[in-house]
Amino acid sequence: MTEQPRSPSWSRRILGEVLLRWGARLGLAWIALLTLVAVFAPLLANTHPLLVEDAEGWHSPMLTHLTPADTALLGAFFLALVLLFSPGAPLWRFLSWLGGLALIGALSLVLVSPPALVVYEQYREAEARGEYQRVVRAPIPYSAKDYLRDYADTGLESPRSSAERLHWFGTDENGADVLSRMIHATRIALSIGFIATGIALVIGVILGGLMGYFSGIVDIIGMRLVEIFEAIPTLFLLLTFVAFFGRSLYLMMLIIGLTSWSGYARYVRAEFLRLRQQDFVQGAIASGLSLPSILFRHMLPNGMAPILVAASFGVASAILAEATLSFLGLGLVDDPSWGQMLNQAVQSSTFNWWMAAFPGGAIFLTVFAYNLIGEALRDAVDPHSQSGRSAPPVKAAA
Amino acid sequence: MLRVQDLTIRLRHQDQPLVEGVSFAIERGELFCLVGESGSGKSLTALAIMRILDRGFLPPSGQVWLKGQGGTQDLLTLDEHGMEGVRGDRVGMIFQEPMTSLNPVWTVGQQIMEVLRLHRPELDAEAARRRTLEVLAEVQLPDPERRFEEFPHKLSGGQRQRVMIAMALVAEPDLLIADEPTTALDVTIQAEILKLIDRLREKNGMSVLLITHDFGVVAQVGDRVAVMHRGKLVEQGAARTVIANPGHVYTRQLIRALPENLPPLPPVSAGSRDTLLEVQGLRVHFPVLKGLLRRPVDYVRAVDDVSFDLSAGEVLAVVGESGSGKTTLGRAVLRLIEPTGGSVRYRGNAMETLDRKALRKARRHLQVVFQDPASSLNPRLTILTTLTEPMAAHDIGADHDERVERALKVLEQVALPPDTLWRYPHEFSGGQRQRIGIARALVLDPDIIICDEVTSALDVSVQAEILQILGRLRAERKLALLFITHNMGVVEYLSDRMLVMKDGRMEEIGATAEVIARPKADYTRHLLSAVPRVAEHLGRAAASGQV
Repeated sequence: MTEQPRSPSWSRRILGEVLLRWGARLGLAWIALLTLVAVFAPLLANTHPLLVEDAEGWHSPMLTHLTPADTALLGAFFLALVLLFSPGAPLWRFLSWLGGLALIGALSLVLVSPPALVVYEQYREAEARGEYQRVVRAPIPYSAKDYLRDYADTGLESPRSSAERLHWFGTDENGADVLSRMIHATRIALSIGFIATGIALVIGVILGGLMGYFSGIVDIIGMRLVEIFEAIPTLFLLLTFVAFFGRSLYLMMLIIGLTSWSGYARYVRAEFLRLRQQDFVQGAIASGLSLPSILFRHMLPNGMAPILVAASFGVASAILAEATLSFLGLGLVDDPSWGQMLNQAVQSSTFNWWMAAFPGGAIFLTVFAYNLIGEALRDAVDPHSQSGRSAPPVKAAA
Repeated sequence: MLRVQDLTIRLRHQDQPLVEGVSFAIERGELFCLVGESGSGKSLTALAIMRILDRGFLPPSGQVWLKGQGGTQDLLTLDEHGMEGVRGDRVGMIFQEPMTSLNPVWTVGQQIMEVLRLHRPELDAEAARRRTLEVLAEVQLPDPERRFEEFPHKLSGGQRQRVMIAMALVAEPDLLIADEPTTALDVTIQAEILKLIDRLREKNGMSVLLITHDFGVVAQVGDRVAVMHRGKLVEQGAARTVIANPGHVYTRQLIRALPENLPPLPPVSAGSRDTLLEVQGLRVHFPVLKGLLRRPVDYVRAVDDVSFDLSAGEVLAVVGESGSGKTTLGRAVLRLIEPTGGSVRYRGNAMETLDRKALRKARRHLQVVFQDPASSLNPRLTILTTLTEPMAAHDIGADHDERVERALKVLEQVALPPDTLWRYPHEFSGGQRQRIGIARALVLDPDIIICDEVTSALDVSVQAEILQILGRLRAERKLALLFITHNMGVVEYLSDRMLVMKDGRMEEIGATAEVIARPKADYTRHLLSAVPRVAEHLGRAAASGQV
């Protein structure tokens, strides 16, 4: 029997529906751009030249200064590209990506060791002394933490004000390039959204699924747990933890994730309660299928859509939570983040618009992009709002 | 009274009209029926007359002339303000679903009075209240004084439909448009509502446009009838003539597809009648839980002490109105709902003592087909997966290829093409999905299939196909069917024996022909007399015509 062309599957149709909407396209394009910027940040904004040619020949200071985080991100990105265009079941490919990610992370930690002391001035001074025949620099030749100490006159500079040093978005009080800091801050913005929401999703789906399928006493206990967690104010908990355990991005992710799962659990529970009554689930039970098959093949995929919608809004709120914390001065100390840059803008005595407008705009656009995607996804999975497909049901007149 | 000329309705962005060139006229005091299957455009026509089409439609073309005191007006050219004077005042409308047509936060009286005061602003509060009570009495709601103060959730489906009729009639319209007013109701209530509409029409001298899919209803109350097919009016004339001598091919097809007119089923080879299923004193009681600790305070007796047996090749129909517990009975036999008491024996083995694993194995022999074709298939899986997954779970077929072969064979038996396998459920019509549902049951090669209202969501011609497929399968495979339905015509056509249920209890069980000819229980008699039958009404009409 020859394989016949299959009709597009449900998830493909939903993806098509989402991509029909211009809001979702814009949102996805912005997130894709941010992802690229985050992955290739050391190539885009770096004080260390990409390539130099001196008496010993060509070498790359950029490569020697890559951190384990940089190499892990680059590795994960290219692995994802390879797997995206390779055959195989999506789930299997996703699992192998996760496995590869762990491997790359471990290898990076062991093998990549940048010099402990970073001297940003060395290449600029060497170039000024004429030691290099040729230098290839990154588009923005300033690192995020390069405070330009070799220049005597650094400090606040408005965009494109100085003749010999080009700063597209100006510099902050320490003399660091704002655009460079923003580029490196995309990593925190993206990762806190994904990881915090990921943690919340895993807990929410498992607990909600158990509550919905088994109902009864499991449901009653689970719902009380949900109510307890809904009563915890995330921001105050974060403030407390930062005060006691110091500032850590991973702690932030964990706490945001641990306090925001209750919404997902409610969604999954409601979906499972509804799906259990559906005839196709009853039919699957009556056909004698096993419990894992009923739960994971027949119920979970049909209940995932509203959870994904909620998750895309959840990513946006996680980004906002981190920005809020950084704005309050409780974020990371030296690593750039958009909220922390806003905080700097407020603290200086004069109003330096470039320090507020650019990071603020980036936060706004990112949160807006996730909301656009969430809304498009919601419209696509909602059978009542499907426009222009086939004739609408007429009976709705009552 | 109402003359519709050349009415054409299209969707925006779509060339093919949904209703095309429809013309008919309704005389004063006449009951005019518009008949057609789903998607034929009969409801759209009614909505266009009232000018309450969805925004997705272009303004309809053609003319709708309504006669009134001030002469004749074309409703399609009237402005919105003028239409407000027509809707509810000169033309009343009732919808299909009585459960959602009333606003749950207002009392019945308030809702009717609102309509009245809009159209009769000269009435004061006392007069409006009197008129409302009067109209509630007119639709034969018991105790109108009390109903006036009640909220809709306290009323049953039939009572709500009476309230809807009262609301439509309160301003004494010249024309009543009833869009499938009895489809969602039980047959005994349907008979009462139809009688009520007919009586009110005679009393008030109004015209009625009744939209229905049921030729039985047409035969019972219709003066004239128009048949719609794919947006076009294919035939119209006196109801009696059209039913007795249909002129158009499509009308003939429709009438031939009624269960009472279908060709007889292939007989089952008479062999040893081995009993497959014995049900003894089956009970399902749902606890009513109250309070923080969810203690049961009372029980709803959904199924109470039901006993029957079923042998190979036999069709046992379970008949009852909504809420009679017939669906719960089917699910309790399958142990999809745990029975509270009683026993279910399959080939002598008690089902209720099986543990989870043994139950899964036993389910192979007892399969189920559901009512709603829209929700009975997993939308995320291809038909291939839907059909082969149960086979794999029960180790039927050596490998995947063999299972595909089996699936193809079963699809052939339910008259579906092989390329069905690689498609998803949303690509099929309701009738096709129902056949896939039957195929899913058949791949496990069961002895018994429980059919839970399998044809009630389908059009009559599709119902005829499904019934014939089931009849053929029964003869070929010696399949036993537990056929749960509320449709008497289907029962008479398909079943050998029937079980009548009311409020969870058995009223009567016996051979179908015997029960229908000589019903023992009062309730059965009541139920049977309420069924609208085409032949009976034609016979009566012909007899009275000769006199």
